[in-house]
Amino acid sequence: MTELDPVIHAQARLRVVATLSALPDCDQVTFPRLQEILGMTAGNLSVHLRRLEEAGYVAVTKTHRGRTPVTLIALTRRGRLAFEEYTEAIRALLAPADAKETS
Amino acid sequence: MIADDDLPPEDPAAALRLIDEQRASAARQFEPDPRAYYWPWGLAWLIGFGLHFLYFSPGDAPLVDMPSWLPLTTLFVLLTAAAVFTAVAGAQAYGQVTGESARRGAWYGWSWGLGFLTLFVIAGRVSDSLPSDLVGLLWSALAVGLTGILHMAGGAIWLDRRLFLLGIWITVVNVLGVIAGPGWHALVVAVAGGGGMLLAGTLGWLHRKGRP
Repeated sequence: MTELDPVIHAQARLRVVATLSALPDCDQVTFPRLQEILGMTAGNLSVHLRRLEEAGYVAVTKTHRGRTPVTLIALTRRGRLAFEEYTEAIRALLAPADAKETS
Repeated sequence: MIADDDLPPEDPAAALRLIDEQRASAARQFEPDPRAYYWPWGLAWLIGFGLHFLYFSPGDAPLVDMPSWLPLTTLFVLLTAAAVFTAVAGAQAYGQVTGESARRGAWYGWSWGLGFLTLFVIAGRVSDSLPSDLVGLLWSALAVGLTGILHMAGGAIWLDRRLFLLGIWITVVNVLGVIAGPGWHALVVAVAGGGGMLLAGTLGWLHRKGRP
């Protein structure tokens, strides 16, 4: 399990990244909507987003819609790549395990 | 401090399951229910054009007697309701997403608006010099034709095969209806056109339900 990306290899962040990966390439989602989809608290989601942002996987843009401040979140190209690599690594780990099924 | 959700998934199988479930549920959230997109329009066509056929029937007399204002009023009320319904469903799914797809959607919306404006101007300009049965045919054939083509364009924009095929279907149905003539056109559009939309919504919904 050592090769797995530690930033993504945590349940909450994996859910965040998987959700963002479902957005079309050049789209961003607002913070409240992402929070709603994930069912996480704002504080918790912020913590994980910061971690993902530090790794360069997620871009957080603060902007305004009229007078209301809006926070927009998207997966970066690097983040998308890291998620794909993580998914492949997981699949690779599962492939041999299927052969020698243990319980 | 390590929160519960900071822990890695139990094993690779759990991780993969989590990925699949999360992606599927996110996709459902980011796309509106196909029923909300197709059914209101399908029903509006089925009922609206259906009444049209029953009142402005082929031949001389209405098949079913009703107040003369009823068919057109019903059609417009139902189309307006469908537009509102679709707009609400779209806003729920796309309202909190910005970026390229939002721009795509907005430009596509403008195409509909300007397309129908063009249609109104042209049909309005020539209507006076046509017999009344042809006026009805002109308006509905132009409107249904534009709808078919814009569905095809939408299919091309989003690479949505169902939308594209529906566009082809509507276009073919419309042309056949025009060839058949006034009255028949309304019947064909109501049954085949409206039915096609209801079917597209149902197929889209089944496809969506079938995903994990």
